Parts: sequence; structure tokens; C-alpha cells
Amino acid sequence: MKKISLIIVMFTLLATTAQEKIWNTFEGTRVLNNHSTEMLYKKDLEFRIEHKFGDLAGSNGGLKNFFGFDNLADVRFAFEYGATTNFDVGLGRSKGVNQQTEVIDGYVKYRFLQQEKKGVPVSLTVVSSMALPYRKASTDSTSSAYYQTPIERLIFTNQVIVARKVSDRLSLQLNVGYHHRNLVAANDVNGMLFTGGVIRYRFTQTFGVLTEYNHVWNRVSGNNQKNPLSFGVELITGGHNFTLVLSNGKALNENLFLSNTTSDWLKGQWRIGFSINRRFKL
Amino acid sequence: MKKTILFFVLLILTGVTLLSINDNVKSRFSLINKTNDLNDLSVLDVLLELGETKPNHYLMKTNQDSVRMGYEMVHFGQLKDKSNSRISKFFVCTDCHNQKKEVANLLKETPSERVKYGMVNDLPFLPASTFFGMYNKTHWYNGDYAKKYGNLVIPTRDSLDNAIQLCATQCSQGRELKEWEIRTIIHYYKSIEISVKDLNLNQSELNQLLTDLASHNNRSVELLKSKYNSINEATFGEIEPKQPDNYIPNLKVGEYIFKNGCMHCHSMGKNITNFEFDAENLTFSFLVSKLKKHNNYSVPYIVRKGTYAINGRKQYMPQYPLEKMSDTQLFDLINYIKSKK
Repeated sequence: MKKISLIIVMFTLLATTAQEKIWNTFEGTRVLNNHSTEMLYKKDLEFRIEHKFGDLAGSNGGLKNFFGFDNLADVRFAFEYGATTNFDVGLGRSKGVNQQTEVIDGYVKYRFLQQEKKGVPVSLTVVSSMALPYRKASTDSTSSAYYQTPIERLIFTNQVIVARKVSDRLSLQLNVGYHHRNLVAANDVNGMLFTGGVIRYRFTQTFGVLTEYNHVWNRVSGNNQKNPLSFGVELITGGHNFTLVLSNGKALNENLFLSNTTSDWLKGQWRIGFSINRRFKL
Repeated sequence: MKKTILFFVLLILTGVTLLSINDNVKSRFSLINKTNDLNDLSVLDVLLELGETKPNHYLMKTNQDSVRMGYEMVHFGQLKDKSNSRISKFFVCTDCHNQKKEVANLLKETPSERVKYGMVNDLPFLPASTFFGMYNKTHWYNGDYAKKYGNLVIPTRDSLDNAIQLCATQCSQGRELKEWEIRTIIHYYKSIEISVKDLNLNQSELNQLLTDLASHNNRSVELLKSKYNSINEATFGEIEPKQPDNYIPNLKVGEYIFKNGCMHCHSMGKNITNFEFDAENLTFSFLVSKLKKHNNYSVPYIVRKGTYAINGRKQYMPQYPLEKMSDTQLFDLINYIKSKK
């Protein structure tokens, strides 16, 4: 208890010592698929459109479906809102992937620390999100969508994200979290511990490249789940930014891509995606 | 019979009120018998005492509650108790207007004097006129503002109330102000109007003013009016300004304009504009790469042309008229940005 009190006091002291704050560690509230430490400004509303196409190469890709453009892996629309400077909420809807389709998701995000020029060395946010696939329950008792009660549909992801803007060009981020599905297939685990990393490098004021990787530590061996790895470029135009993604993950929400990525990079099962957002002042 | 009595009672009450008001004004000036006492007087009150006509927005005295409300409207866009809605979700007045004196000599509101005084006093270097002394101006939205706002400027030219309304609805892209809100802002303006001490009168001028006040001689009207600028002109410059002859870059001025002008709105975390930046290498490289372009990222273009509010993007940047930033200063800014690349 004493240790917890000490940590809280330390956080409070760090947060209340006024220093010049560091902004734009990342351009948006998301890196490529996962959250970043960035927050929306108070009373800003962001509308996001995210999209991932089919396999670029491999047996399901190539010229016959124009490198995946004929297929849709996942699509997500979301509204996110800066309730205060340090507290965001969001609500989204995505097509979903595998057994988890027709998904509504929501999240709350709180910034505990913001990096400062001479002071707090990192930004730290905590994100708690939840997803609800509302598809008709499967009649296959071995399926992860064999829902018997509404509670079984819920999926949760809680993560702590730490980031540092190393220079005006380079930003790094680490995230640690716990992902939980209430209902899983017989050969799977409900809870997953994961760690992720992000590198962002800006070549110019309006153009940068990004890499994002998330590693799940306790996957059950034998199932075909993979760790999502993504590369991307960002184009910033002011008011909105455009991100182009290359990823083996089909899903667009952390509640899905952590446990539902089954595509293998080495088999050419990677796909192009994009996200575009627009901010409004309310 | 009753109506006649009521009429006479009202007549007497009106007469008593007018007399008491007149006495009130007179008593303020009848106590002035030393030049030191003059300094705290409002210039407008002195002018009125000397026989000048009251402006439309004239207030006899400020009400402290109204001043506070006007202050809150100007600084926060709404009352602090949130009993009224925000004027604009995009801007507050202080994004474009200072609240303090911007020059040492109020007659010389020139770009070079603004920079000189602003650097010493660490003032924001903004495109619009300061609210200090706004109460003393006689015309608003002058000169080339007609090019930007068209006929909308016509009713504002002779009315501070209308100028405030245009600023709310067009400049800040907000809602129309209610009458009482405009009144509170004018009360606030009056609280930062020009006083005699701001005119830096010498002793003989103060003596003359004292004598003229005592004798109600309007000779000092001209003297007072010659000490401050009652109209802010606005001339829009060229988007490809010519470098002035014998120009020598002054990087200190450029740095001041960048930090106290550009960064006043564009620095990160302020959420005033869609284009935020910091004073880092990437920013300067980007701005240098756009210098020759004719778009919103080009410094000379945006400084001289600004942007316009459009559907879906109401936030816009007002341009700096030549009276606020000279071409020499614009070149200082450009050279500073180049030097930091």
C-alpha cells in the first residue's frame, strides 16, 4: 500500500511540475493499427475511416484480384472525442474478421504523463477498450462464435503505452497489455499477454514512416495465429492525416488483430490498408 | 388630473437625474487643479469636457461587473461561469489582438515601433490591432479590409458595436453577439482606454490642458488628438514582396516575429490552427522548401494573403497588413527561417 501511495505521489509531482511539454510524438491517436500516446484536444471530434484490402500476394493475391484491391479484409468507421485534455473516448464499428464479425468497439484512454522538454522523459497513457461482435451466434459448438449469452461476446484489451519523442524526426513507443476474450475455441486461451513496439521516423514535416509490431507471449502452439507486423507511411496535410499500411493483420481494432491475425508474412499474406481521419472542433 | 400630476412628477425626476449627472461630470473636472491629477483622466472624457461630441459607444463610467464579463468574453470566448455559449469554437479575441499598448508613442503605431516595443516587453506580434485604445478609435475595418470582407465593413466603419459584431461573426467565425454581450465588451474596452498619461505630454502641454479645462477652451482638443492614432489603416501587401533597397537582414527581428507572431497561434498544443509546428529543424526545412510556392505553406504568401474561411474549414489565418508587418520585417522573418534550416 505504501509503495502504491509513493508511486501516486511521484506521478502527481511529475505531472504538476510545469515544464514545456512535448507534442506530436505521433501524428494521430493511432500509430498504424494500435493506439499511440497522442490524445485529441479537448472538445475535438475525430472521424476515422480505416480500411484493409485482401492479400497482396500469395495464393489469394496477385493480378487475379488486383493485388487484393478486389477484396475487403476489414473496414472500420469510428468517432473519437477529446472529453478533456487527458481523457478520450471512442466508438467504432468494423466488419470484423474470422468468426468475430459485425463488431462494435469502444474505448476510454487516459494520459497520465506527457513528455516534457526538461522534466518528464516519456508520455504514458492507459487505454481500455472493449469489442462486441453482434453477429448471429454460430451453431457450431466448436466455434469461437458459439455464443450462448451476450457476455460471451465481449472482448477486452487493456494496455499501458509509453512513448518518447527522441528527436523531431524519431519517436519510439512501447506498449504492454492484457487481451481477453470471453469465449474462445477449445484449443485457445482466453487471456493473452502482449507487448508491442513502434518506431516512427519523419523525413519531412509532412512525411514519415512507421513500423508497428505486437507480440503475444502465451499463444497456444498449434493454432495458426500470428503476431501482427505492420509498416506504413504517413502523409500529413493539416486537419487530417493519411496513413498507408502494409500489414499481415486483417483486423483494424486491437480487440481483433491481437488474437485474430492468421496471415503469414512469409507466405505473402500481407495487405495494403489505409486510414484517414478528419478532426472537427465542437 | 392624475395624468397631469404623473407627467410633472416624471418631468421633475428627469430634470433632477440630468442635473445630478451633469454635476457628477463637472465635479470630476472641478477637482482637477494640478497637472499631476490630469494623468489619470480618460482622454475621451477630457475631450468631451472640451466640447467634443460623444461617440456612439460612449459610456459615462465603467461597471466593474461588466468589465469582468467583457474581459472573460475577450480572453475565454464566454463567461467563466459558462452562463452564455462560446462566441466561437475556433478563436478567442486574444489569438489576434493584444490587450496592451504595442508602441511607446501612440501616434506612431508603425511596424518598426511595434517590433521595437514588442521585443522589449515580450508582446505577441499579432496581425490585428490591440484592444488597448480601441475605445478611442473613431473608425474600424479601414482600408483594404473591404477587400476581404466586402460590404460587411460598411456598417462597422463608424460603429464600434458593429465592428465587434463583425469580428465575432466573420473574423472569429462565431455566432452573433447579443446586445448585452457587446455592452460588456465595450465596458472592458473602456477599462483599457487611453489615459492622459499614455500620451506622454510635456509639462507645458499639461499646463495648457489644465488651463483649457478650467476655461472650457477647446484649443487642447487638437493637441490631444495629435498625440494618438485614432484610425488604424490597413493595406494588404504583395504575395511576392520586393526586397527593400539596401536591405540588411535583422535576424533578431525575424526571430521575434517567428516566436511571438507565428508561434503565437501555430505552436503545438494550442489547437488554434490546423497547421501546428515547433521551432525544430524539420519545421524550418519545410518552410524554406515552400518559400517560392504560391500556397498556404509559403510564408510570404500566407502573411500577405492569409486564408479564407470555407465550408468544412472555418478556421482561417488573417493576413498581416503592411501597417502591422512591413516588407522589411517579412524579409527578416524569411531570413531567420532560412538561417535555422
